This record gives sequence, structure tokens and C-alpha cells, in this order.
Amino acid sequence: MSVTKKRGFLYNIQAQFHTKALVLIPIAVGINLVGGTLASTLKLPLFLDMIGTIVSAALAGPWVAALVGFLTNVFLALVANPVYLPYSLVSIAVGLTTGFMVRAGLFKRWWGVAITWIAAVFVSVVFSSTITVLVFGGATGATGTSVLTATLIAAGNKLVKSVVASSFIENLIDRAIAFAIAYVLLKRIPKRFVSQYALAGLGEADDEED
Amino acid sequence: MNKQLEVSNLSFRYSDTKQKAIADINFTVDEGEFFCIIGQNESGKSTLCSALVGLVPFYFTGKMKGDVVVLGENTRKSSVATLASKIGFVFQNPFNQLSYTTVSVAEELAYGLGNLGIEREEMHRRVERIAGLMRVDHLLNKSPLELSGGQVQRVAIGSAFIMQPKILVLDECTTQLDPLGSEEVFDVVKALNGEGITVIMADHDMERVARCADHILVLDGGKQVAVGTPAEIFSDPSIRQHSIEPPDFVTIGRRLREEGLYSGDITLTEEAAITAAKGALVR
Amino acid sequence: MLMAKKKTSSYIPMDSPIDRLHPMVKIYAIFCLGISALVCPTFILSYVLVIFLFIVAWKAKLFKKFAKFIIGFAIPITVMLLFIHGLYSPKNVTYIANFGFARLGLEGTMYAIKLVGGLLVFLGSFLLMTTTTHPGKLVTALIESGMNPKVGYLVLASLNIVPQMQRRMIIIKEAQMARGVEVEGKLLTRATAFIPLIGPLVMSSLVDVQERGMTLETRGFGAKGVKTTSYIEVVERPVDRLIKRLLVVFLAITVVASILARLIR
Repeated sequence: MSVTKKRGFLYNIQAQFHTKALVLIPIAVGINLVGGTLASTLKLPLFLDMIGTIVSAALAGPWVAALVGFLTNVFLALVANPVYLPYSLVSIAVGLTTGFMVRAGLFKRWWGVAITWIAAVFVSVVFSSTITVLVFGGATGATGTSVLTATLIAAGNKLVKSVVASSFIENLIDRAIAFAIAYVLLKRIPKRFVSQYALAGLGEADDEED
Repeated sequence: MNKQLEVSNLSFRYSDTKQKAIADINFTVDEGEFFCIIGQNESGKSTLCSALVGLVPFYFTGKMKGDVVVLGENTRKSSVATLASKIGFVFQNPFNQLSYTTVSVAEELAYGLGNLGIEREEMHRRVERIAGLMRVDHLLNKSPLELSGGQVQRVAIGSAFIMQPKILVLDECTTQLDPLGSEEVFDVVKALNGEGITVIMADHDMERVARCADHILVLDGGKQVAVGTPAEIFSDPSIRQHSIEPPDFVTIGRRLREEGLYSGDITLTEEAAITAAKGALVR
Repeated sequence: MLMAKKKTSSYIPMDSPIDRLHPMVKIYAIFCLGISALVCPTFILSYVLVIFLFIVAWKAKLFKKFAKFIIGFAIPITVMLLFIHGLYSPKNVTYIANFGFARLGLEGTMYAIKLVGGLLVFLGSFLLMTTTTHPGKLVTALIESGMNPKVGYLVLASLNIVPQMQRRMIIIKEAQMARGVEVEGKLLTRATAFIPLIGPLVMSSLVDVQERGMTLETRGFGAKGVKTTSYIEVVERPVDRLIKRLLVVFLAITVVASILARLIR
């Protein structure tokens, strides 16, 4: 890992976008979107639209995952509702957080995954609430979250607190399941495949003697 | 004859694996040859093909030993993009050989040219010519996502060939196709070889290999077991140890010879086997 | 999660003058109009621009769809924001109505109206751009303006890959249902169906990733030091240049006027 640091910050961001990583991005976006559709087809009260982001964070690092998150929201903004566009910050933040924590080795144990989950929820809530308040003034429409927020405000709570509270509940459960599923899937991927990615960022061939 | 491709002492082990995928491979391919690589699954055919076009070592990480020299250029000192105009690559799954960025077959064929910075008029010229060669001219305006497997595979060959390589590497390019698609694709490959393009094809259809190959390389467990003409390879009984079953026509000729009913050369093709059988009946 | 639509891209091919505009003109429009709406101290400009966008939509033969979006988006969010800010904004000093359980404040209402106006301009022009611009042409235009081709790849590939994956999902679903996976019934049943459905999708997709990377590389993708060219041609006509300039001038005037207006107050 020390070789990475020597080469400089920008080089390493760029190196992460080797073709292998680049091709992963649209497919991870697809996994996000299909996951979301599947959740609504199965009528589950969750989004489950971040599995691709988490998997790509584990395979290819934080910046790739951030891009996956961003593009997922761009796609949703184009096809479903432009409201999703500013919320790409949330997806980007989750991608970065997960990626950096995986790099720190947290995905090697299940409790590390749990820590990453909490971090992701925290980040999601912070960014999501900020955007709802700053960009949309507190609500984005007639969604469940917005109604919850409105109810809380009517009950006398301040705007920011209400937005945060609704966001927290929504994110906590959704992310937990997303991380659990992603972790299970990642364990099943053959090591040979994962190794092809782990070294993509370093750009150096395996130099062990055989 | 002109040596276009030289492989010397080539070995490769993928990162984090214990065994080499290919070891000590040595062979050369001459200009215009039809060179076949045969071997059971996991014998290293795909790794070898990847090494011929530079994907090993530039795309697949691991430890590479030995050299591959393509038209005088050592792959280690080159890049996959540079090699693409010398040696083209087509592999098994046709649907993973589309760029997924184009709206028409014409644009898809020209995809590689865009990457190389070829100017638009030249693109149009080459697309027209290649579309004819690949027999996809009636599909030029269709979306690549609407085509059948065989059609996509021909577009894939076209988008590799449009970059004007002198050698084409085809890794089991008909395995995932239905019989008609398979035949359409193979006809195109034969036609290209007829025009002087060197073809290196990994295949498991032994009849085709026996019929068309100038030379055959046999792999087993990543190691090079034999290299020679079809007659040399298929007349050697020991290849069956490497899970290679000679084509039926060869077996017919061999059995007839064993019974004393035929004393000619190895029967590599349907015609030869029939001739031998006819001769045996006459006796 | 509004995933009912199965469209891949929102582009609607229509033979209209808006369609024929150079893609960069439309990008300029989003920024120039959107920023103008935000910068202007009164909300009137935003709503004037929204009317302008309706006219553009009509010229693009997409009036109905555009209207549907604006109404579909504007009404719920206006109601929500009026509720939140109009009734409960701490900035409320003057009151214009009394509903019994709460009073409608002027400052909050104005804030809500202004915010909705700005959002409508940005999102409305964004929608018009995406429904009138062919994605391939948009990417080509962006690359010609200096965007990295790898970014272009990402945009186009993302748009194309999703319908394909959705189709594969259907196949996987049928296969798994044939093996006994239940997709209807109690919540727990449906929830446990998720993994055997998403699992095969993720696994097969990862194989695709490896092979598609091989394809890109062997087609010369990312060749160093090469300026990429495009099979698709996007032409910038004089009228495109003119409109671009008008948009920039409009933005400049609005910004200057807004600054002056605020100074005068």
C-alpha cells in the first residue's frame, strides 16, 4: 500500500479509472437501478438502489463508487424524476465513504461492514437532509418522507430537525440490508476476479518470484 | 514464408493464483496461415489468445515470462491500443463485444476507428467495405442491440477487422452461436483468410480444424503438448490422452487402415474419408 | 422510487427546430436561464422564463409532455413548500391568511414561490434538453467541446446497459420462479426472494465487465495521445452560435441588473 502513497494523490485517482474500472461503472449503475426496480416490483418498503455502488466500492475503490452513485442519480433524473439530480451528492458521499473504508480493510470482517453501514447512514442523512433543506426548501413533493417531514413540522419541530429525522429512519434500514446483501455477494466472487481489480489502482504487475 | 507472429517461452500466472495458466509456449505463425489452437476447457487457450493481443500483460494482472512478437513488435513494449491495428481479437460471447455506445451497426463498426482518431470520410469508406465483407450491409442502420448472436459476432469481427490488422485472433468465436450463425461466421473467417489475412483460431470443432488448419497447436493444462500439421497431429494416437478426439473422418480412415482396407494418407476431410471408404468397398 | 417507466433514455425523436439545435446551445440554455432565475431578486423572472419554456416545448412538439411534468412536479412541491414555509417559516412576520390551525405568512410564502420558480426553470430546461437531444449527438458535442471521451463512454454505456440488464432480470426471475422462489405473499417471503434474484444478476454482470473491458481495449479505447473522432457528425450552424450568444448576454444583463437592484435597495 505504501507504493500507492508515493505516487501522488491525483495519479492514484486517475489510475483507478483503468478500462476495467470504467466498464464496471455502467454495469454497477445497472445493478443499482435494477435493484431498485426489483425492490418496488417485490413491493418491499425499501429502495435497495445502492448495491452496485457498494460492490464497486469494494472492487474498484472510492472514486469509482462515487461516480457510480452520481451516474445512477443522473439516470434516475433523466428517466424518472429530475428531483433525483441534486441528491446525487448523497450517492457520491456513500460511494466515497464505503470505498475508503473498504480500502482501510473494514470489509474483511462482518463487524467492519457494520461500521461502514453506520458511516454510510450518517453520511446519507447529513447530505440528504442538507439538500432537502437547501435546494428544495424542506420537501420534494408528495413522497412519504416529505409527508413525514411535514407532519413533524406541524407538530412543532424545527424544519431541519424534522428533515433529519425522516431521513434517518429511511436510510437506516435501507442501507443495512443493502450492505448485508452486498457483503454476501462479494464473498461469493472468486478471488481471481477480485485480484484483477485490487491491483488495477496500483498499475503494477505482480512481482513475486515463482 | 514470412514469420508474422513469434511466441517464445511464454508463461503467465494470474495474480493471486498458484498455478500458471500457460507455461513454456513456443511457436511461430507465418503470413496468411490458418493456425488453430485446440485443447479442452481450461487448457489455457483463452489466456494464450489474450497474450497474443497484449491483454496479457496490460489488462490482466499477473506474472508474465517470455515474449510475444507481433509483426516485429514485442507486445511488452507496446500497448493493446497500438497492437489493435496489427492483430485483431474476437472472442466467444458476441454480446460482450459491443461497445454499448452506438446507435447503429455502421457506427459500431467504426467504433475502433474513432478511438484511433481516423477522420470521418475514411470511416465511412471503410464501413461500407467491411459491411459487405461481413455480409451485414442490410443491417447498417439497425441498432446493434437488435441483432442475433451470429449477426453480432460478424459485427464484432468487422469492428476488429476495420482497424486493418494483418492477423486475426478468434477465441472460440462460434461456440455460443446456433448452427446457422456459426456457419455464417465461419464463412466470413474463411473468406478473410482467403484474402490473405492470417487467422489464429482457438476452436473445439475438430472437423473444421482438420479441414482448414495449416498448423495446429495442442494445449493441455497450460502446457504445449504438440504443434504441427493436421496430419501430424491427428495421426498421433497420444493426443487422445489430452482429451482431444480426432474428427470422425480421421477415425474412419484409421479404422479402415487397421483392417487392411485402406493404405493411403490420413483422411482429414469428409471427401478423403468417402474416397477411402469407396476404395475399401471395391476391394 | 419512480421506476415504473421502462424507457432507457428520455430522448423523443421529433422533427422540430428545437431538436435540430446544436446540443451545446441547450446546455448553455440550462445554465444561463437557470442561473438568471436564481440570481434575480424577484420571482417574476423565473415564471416568465417558465412561460418561455412552455413556448419552447410547444415548438418542440412536446407541449403535452412538458406540461404534464411541470404540473406533476410543481403542484405537489408547491403545496408542500407552502405548507412548510408559508405556515411555519420562522421568517414569517406579516400574515395574510388564517386557517385556524396555523396562519399563512407572507415571507415564507414568497420564499416558497421563489424557490419553486427557480427549480422549475432549471429542471424544466433540463427536461427539454434531454427530450430533444439525441444522446449520441449530445456526447459527441460535449467531447468536441473538450469533455473527456471516457466520460462520454460512461454516459452512453449507462443509458444502453440498463434495458439489457432489466431484460436479463426478467429471465433470471422466470428461471428462479421455476425453481421455487416465491415472489408473492407475505413481506418476509418477498424479501427473501430478493437475494436469489439479485445474486445471479450481479455475478453474471461481473463476467460481462471483464469481457467488455477486453473489447474496449482491443478496439483501441483510451489510446494515448490520440484525439478521438466520431462517426456521428454534429454541425454548429450560424443560428446555433447566435442563440448561444443571446443566452450569454441575457445572463450577463440579468446578473448586472440584479446586483444593481440589490445595491439600490
